[in-house]
Amino acid sequence: MPFFTPALVEHADLFFGGIRTTLILFAAGLAASLVLGVFMASLRVWGGNVLSSLAGAYVEFFRNTPLLVQLFFFAVLLAPANLGITRDPVVVGIIGLAIYTGAYVTEVVRSGILSVDARQIEASRSLGLSQIQSLRLVVLPQAVRTVIPPLGNVAIALAKNTTIVSAIAANELLKVAGIIETRNATIDGFIAALFVLWALTMSMAFILSRLERRLAFAR
Amino acid sequence: MTAAPIVRAAGRRVSGQVWTAAIIAALIVAGFVSGTIPVKPWEPFLRLDTWTFLGRGLVVTLVMGGVSLVLALAIGIPLAMARSSLRGPIGWLISGYIELVRATPILALLLIIFLGVSRLGIDLPAIQAAIVGLTIYNSATIAEIVRAGIKSIPGGEVEAARSLGLNYWQTMRLVVLPQAIARMMPAIVSQLITLMKDTSLAFILGAQELVGFGRSFFTFYGNVLETYIVLAVVFFLINYPLSLISRRLEAGRAPTERPSAVLGKDVTIA
Repeated sequence: MPFFTPALVEHADLFFGGIRTTLILFAAGLAASLVLGVFMASLRVWGGNVLSSLAGAYVEFFRNTPLLVQLFFFAVLLAPANLGITRDPVVVGIIGLAIYTGAYVTEVVRSGILSVDARQIEASRSLGLSQIQSLRLVVLPQAVRTVIPPLGNVAIALAKNTTIVSAIAANELLKVAGIIETRNATIDGFIAALFVLWALTMSMAFILSRLERRLAFAR
Repeated sequence: MTAAPIVRAAGRRVSGQVWTAAIIAALIVAGFVSGTIPVKPWEPFLRLDTWTFLGRGLVVTLVMGGVSLVLALAIGIPLAMARSSLRGPIGWLISGYIELVRATPILALLLIIFLGVSRLGIDLPAIQAAIVGLTIYNSATIAEIVRAGIKSIPGGEVEAARSLGLNYWQTMRLVVLPQAIARMMPAIVSQLITLMKDTSLAFILGAQELVGFGRSFFTFYGNVLETYIVLAVVFFLINYPLSLISRRLEAGRAPTERPSAVLGKDVTIA
């Protein structure tokens, strides 16, 4: 089967728009989930009693409920009839993906921070480094190294989850494939979308495995 | 000296959780009392027929999850055995298949199966199509989990079993698999959580499961946001106990025998 079937050629602009939207959802979702996840993880570790548990509740709730239900909820909540923030499904998708993925990032970053032996902080403090300096120079370089492989897996999961945003009518790859399917009565769009998504997830998996090997050596 | 910090940490977490529960409860009560949260949309949830209605969707969701899990285990375990013992082209083919399926977004898989099969002129209802898709996806993930478990069993045990006169199947069935599966149980339970969440995607195919029943429910009462919260809470009540079970199973194992150590990564991140 040739990749550029008649149905795809006819809807080339639509399809490339789908690729673009998928990439936007992925990139913006990843950036926002990293910010949210690092913030929540620092609450988890340094937030004290109550804030730490509140951040824990966030993690548990959003990890244990379907992304689809969360997206439907946010689409209605942010709509003009309620909070009136946005009706753009891509924006809703980015927010939903960020909050869902952020819960996973929180856990990864938290275990990364905790993987650094507390005695190292004590040692660097007694060597005269300030709290911030020992974080920046001792904890972070090591934590980042432990955190990168699992974060890569979270990013791959996020890339796959962008497809679920099709359910709130964002014109990403699967939604676009669905439009082509109804117009031309062919699933070519879905097959092509699958190849693009494979390229995205598999290239990340490849880079990740190379990176993991290099990080393992650097220890 | 050794035990004290752990005990203290545990005690602190519990009181933090109590505080969290109290804060959330207080916010909800304050919301209702001050009228910030309207009471009326919540009233239908006080009635029994609401729950018998949503319960019908929940049954479909649970059946989909349960059937897919059993089928995925039944396919995933032999796949794991094949991948860890077959060499050459067939071994590569199986590895390639597993990697390809795991790289596929589950929704894309579900839609291609559902629409592709109907294009072929076969009438496969949405629920069945979803079970097929969930089974394919999860059998590949479970195969990967079980394979890592098999690999983690020391080779000496296999050699010992073989030299006692057990053949390949007996060694697998009696020595390797029971240990591998027990060791990977926390990861399998985590995968079940992912599976339960993914059943909701069957709604996109038009299956009437929990989310579908929820949407029919709020088109009648108009309490859209409240219904979504209730749906999320129902999923949470299924999945959170599973995540506690997974964590407890993991804590009961030596650190080197935990899935996170055996896998070197968390395959069940979703």
